[in-house]
Amino acid sequence: MAAIEINEVWKYYGSFPAVKDLSITCPDGSFLSILGPSGCGKSSTMRMLAGLEHISAGEILFDGERINELAPKDRDVAMVFENYALYPHKTVFENMANPLKLRGVDAAKIRERVVSAAELLELSHFLDRRPQELSGGQKQRVAIGRAIVREPKLFLFDEPIAHLDAKLRAHMRSEIKHLQRTLKTSMIYVTHDQLEALSMSDYVAVMHQGELQQWGTPREIYEHPVNAWVAGFVGEPAMNFVDCEVVSAADKVHFRHGNFSLPLSDEQRAKLDAGGAPKTVRLGMRPEVLAISLDKPPADHITGHVHVTELLGGDMLVSVRLGEERIRVKTSPAFAGTEGAPCYVVSERDKWHAFSHQDGRAYF
Amino acid sequence: MASRDIVAYETPWTKVFHVFSAIFVAAYLVWTLLPIFIMFVSSFKDLLAAFQLPAIGDWSGVGVFFDFTPTLKHYQSLFTDNNFKVYMLNSLTAAAGSAVVSVVLGAMAAYSLSRIDFRGKNDLFFGIISTRMAPVVAVMVPLYSIFRSLDLVGTLTGLILAYTTFNLPFAIWMLKGFFDNVPYAIEEAQMVDGATRFQAFRSILPLVAPGIGAFVVLCILFAWNDFLFAAIIGSGGAKTLPVATRELVQPQNIQWGSIMAAGVVTAAPMMLLGLVIRRYMVAGLTMGAVKE
Repeated sequence: MAAIEINEVWKYYGSFPAVKDLSITCPDGSFLSILGPSGCGKSSTMRMLAGLEHISAGEILFDGERINELAPKDRDVAMVFENYALYPHKTVFENMANPLKLRGVDAAKIRERVVSAAELLELSHFLDRRPQELSGGQKQRVAIGRAIVREPKLFLFDEPIAHLDAKLRAHMRSEIKHLQRTLKTSMIYVTHDQLEALSMSDYVAVMHQGELQQWGTPREIYEHPVNAWVAGFVGEPAMNFVDCEVVSAADKVHFRHGNFSLPLSDEQRAKLDAGGAPKTVRLGMRPEVLAISLDKPPADHITGHVHVTELLGGDMLVSVRLGEERIRVKTSPAFAGTEGAPCYVVSERDKWHAFSHQDGRAYF
Repeated sequence: MASRDIVAYETPWTKVFHVFSAIFVAAYLVWTLLPIFIMFVSSFKDLLAAFQLPAIGDWSGVGVFFDFTPTLKHYQSLFTDNNFKVYMLNSLTAAAGSAVVSVVLGAMAAYSLSRIDFRGKNDLFFGIISTRMAPVVAVMVPLYSIFRSLDLVGTLTGLILAYTTFNLPFAIWMLKGFFDNVPYAIEEAQMVDGATRFQAFRSILPLVAPGIGAFVVLCILFAWNDFLFAAIIGSGGAKTLPVATRELVQPQNIQWGSIMAAGVVTAAPMMLLGLVIRRYMVAGLTMGAVKE
């Protein structure tokens, strides 16, 4: 177990900065996800943690000790790779035993540890098989087994379940989370899948173009994104953004758009003023906090036309046309609107987000 | 290896083409196999019988060619009068020695070139390959003079070094292709698991085994069949089979029977080797080229 600190770390490939001034902490024993699209620098960060890439600037601390100069083998981390990286010519047992063998653990102890790890991962029947005889999920469990037999300070998981099919992914998500809770070993988990990050982690670090966008608990990231990019990246279906003007009328401040004029609360107004009282904002509303109806509601609402409806089994996703723009509303399959029908969208004011037009930062 | 049915439709043209290709293949087989066949049969003949050939155009007289009493005396004389046991051992040592040295150095160099980026890497790689572009004869004189001043002429060490000079660039070039196809993740996993770089390198060797095997065979073939190096660098103390065979041709006495027997002794081991490993050989040579 170890507390991990990444302090002002930079990674250059030639003159290209892949990671820019990154500072993240992972408290002892917790599960941190690094979330971002491909090319955001999350894998470079993980490889710097493992010691597979040099750190161009800054430092990484394990329990307060600088590990920049340590070789991978001396860092006491275990890594699970996206493509499993099993040794094809070795059996499952030999694969899992390898890290212990490299550390000179005696044979009896190796057997004991591998067998107990295999039990935990339900691999006991496969110990004599070779990787090519296993399914993707089994291979990934072997790779995880190889990581846990050693009882390292830190687990590094690099998109370990990205190659599995959707059903197995959901299963492995809960398995990995359970495993981490059981072993209480610090884990850093790299993923591009916001659902994985939100559902598994204690903390999420969102990265974009080499820079840390936000660090916080999954709830904070989801409910209080610091900028429009994080807001749009986290959440599925993605947050709706509508550009509006900020106008004052009848001692209330309104967000005005061709299709609506919605008054702000006093608290929201104060935050907007604190942020520099902008003339225009991007209003962000998650599809799941919107309600749609075909009858005009008495409350403040957005008017639009049904563009297209998508049935998702238990839910229905309605795309609503507001002039040139579209917003998506998650509603129940009972919604009966047909394409082109006028409709009304109501939104809870507390769930609104407002972002700057210029730099995307959040006012609230 | 996936093979696929080829859909073919008969047309007059394809029929003509098939007949033509059959004739071509038959002629080609006669052309390549007949000398070997004659060598094999003649090695069991008396000198007199060896020259009993039918007249040109006399196809009915072909029987004369097979009309002889087999004798093993040429083989016996090779090993009793002519020291062929020593020459065979020399050939074997030179071939195996250079294969081992080339594989060990070649694998390490190929791994470095495959994995590590450094300035001038491409130039270096081209430099290594380019040593194979010059004909052997072009470097023979300087090589000989270097070897002579190092007292390596006529020694097996010298011969092994000479073969290695030419096999090593080939090993590097061939094995680099194999290492390029091994995913980095496997050795990275090793290093994170506690291996040094060298242990990680060793751990992926089984994955390039087909390449190493194919290279060893080609290397042995080159050294075993070589005449030029053996005649010049190995002359005297390190006589190999091809050179020893050549020495059976003496101005006043060309020992045809022994030459044929020596030819068989030289060719047979490599042919057997070829038969045994041909399956792996194809797999090895193509695996580096086609990414799976």
